[in-house]
Amino acid sequence: MSRYLDKSIIEINKMLKEKVIKPIDLVEEAFARIEENENLNAFITLNKEEAIETAKKLENLEVDNILFGIPIAIKDNILTKDLRTTCASHMLDNFIPIYDATVISKLKEKHMIIVGKTNMDEFAMGSTSKTSYFGAPHNPWNYNKISGGSSGGSAVCVSSRITPFALGSDTGGSIRQPASYCGVVGMKPTYGRVSRYGLVAFASSLDQIGPLTRNVYENAVLLNAIVGMDNNDLTSANKKEEDFTRKIGEDISGMKIAIPNYFMSDIVSDEIREKIRSIIDILKQSGCTVDYIDIKYLENAVLLYQIIAMGEASSNLARYDGIRYGHSKENPKDIDELYYGSREEGFGDEVKRRIMVGSYILSGDNAKIYYDKAMSIRSDIRTSFLEAFKKYDLIIGPTTTTTAYGLDVEDPNPLKSFMDDVLVIPVNMAGLPGLNIPIGFSKDNLPIGMHIIGNDFDEATIYKLASYIEKKLNLDLTPKGCDKSV
Amino acid sequence: MEDRLSKEEVLHVAYLAKIKIKDNEMEKYQIELKTILDSIKKIKEVTGYDDEILIAPFSEDARLRDDVNKSNVIVKDILKNVPRHSGNYIEVPVVINE
Repeated sequence: MSRYLDKSIIEINKMLKEKVIKPIDLVEEAFARIEENENLNAFITLNKEEAIETAKKLENLEVDNILFGIPIAIKDNILTKDLRTTCASHMLDNFIPIYDATVISKLKEKHMIIVGKTNMDEFAMGSTSKTSYFGAPHNPWNYNKISGGSSGGSAVCVSSRITPFALGSDTGGSIRQPASYCGVVGMKPTYGRVSRYGLVAFASSLDQIGPLTRNVYENAVLLNAIVGMDNNDLTSANKKEEDFTRKIGEDISGMKIAIPNYFMSDIVSDEIREKIRSIIDILKQSGCTVDYIDIKYLENAVLLYQIIAMGEASSNLARYDGIRYGHSKENPKDIDELYYGSREEGFGDEVKRRIMVGSYILSGDNAKIYYDKAMSIRSDIRTSFLEAFKKYDLIIGPTTTTTAYGLDVEDPNPLKSFMDDVLVIPVNMAGLPGLNIPIGFSKDNLPIGMHIIGNDFDEATIYKLASYIEKKLNLDLTPKGCDKSV
Repeated sequence: MEDRLSKEEVLHVAYLAKIKIKDNEMEKYQIELKTILDSIKKIKEVTGYDDEILIAPFSEDARLRDDVNKSNVIVKDILKNVPRHSGNYIEVPVVINE
């Protein structure tokens, strides 16, 4: 098997331009890699026939951009016309979208090639990808560990070097947390940066689509391709076009960086805190100032997430009625049996639990007691972050409190999955951009990630710092199980 | 304090969520929902915050689409995902009692 996909995107682009290789070579290689890594369970649906057909058509076109002809994997909650989109749920296991999400249209305009739809937690509800109807993906660094979630399949796909690019979605850390567990770069852009049209709604005020990639530069390149105002999403922002790679390679001396005390408290393992401290030393030696600060209500962010995300989810998932699309109960005797029965059969345990709690939160006076109050505290969290950004360029911390844990860990506490995201949820509350960058490995050789948080719509500065750290550390981020021969 | 919700309370939230609960799942939900709801109730202890609410972290003014009639979806495509249909009509069970 050829190993073109191990090369940088710049090198691949050059080879395509010079006609040393064709898009079909990359597609065939991607599918060989999918087969080679089948046991990781990264994909729910493959798009082989169409991918091959698209690649052949591209042979007649000029290579007009850096993403031309490159294979990409898409989280299975992003609609792809005529390609099954399940949200990893029995509810949608036969659902064929009739239109493309805006991000998919944009990738197709760039002539990227979709190889398949990646595994995830059911309806993106979870932090391990174990709630998938199709079984959990495995971590490429250790088969017996979780991939994280909910964009677990996308993180596994990039980490195991199946494709250089994947899209995920992030409602409460679902890009950054699996990126950290799997040792890849994952960005949740500012709320409103990327159109949510065609992203199956979970919690509409928190959801955002973003890129998972092998390195920082390629992450910025993919973000360039998917951003922009969209009339089909009225919460997509009207921003001037910019190149997110433009600050990569700039000198970082003089940058002012903050680290919230809560992010370095004893909720984080000693090993991870130690690794973050080593990065702080590097930043100081490179001429940055790093101050410890306090951000209000960080310790309450998970609580707010439970209320806001479950409330919004209960409303968004009310659409699955067994009538218009999705799983439908056989031979119902009346409309109630059709509705209750289809949802009972179609949804998994985690989804049912969250919808029930969400319905309770939004019912009657509870909406004021819980939901309104959560939105008030949420406002204070955002204000506190924005105050910090008047003084600092970026905020940093660990992405996760531990490294990836065992797939066999069964915690009876239904709150466990929320606590896995305790350090990344505040960013969704505030709507800010946040990125995971791998910064090293634990003593048992599992990736450790750092979280870089930027001001509203300042993804470019995040990439600037992330690329500096990436270059300084120069880590080998290819899992040992992968064949590295080119 | 009870470590679980009553069966009636579980049936109430299940009714709100339009989800049927099987008898053999009842005990599980009694315990799990109690744990989550107890956690959520801790929000009552949070003080000192401003009353302003943040519905979504998005500050641009609402904009309207042009008032142009566009044909975005085709009935025959929609029907591909409909579990039961008759011609161009989506079928549902009888909704009026005799």
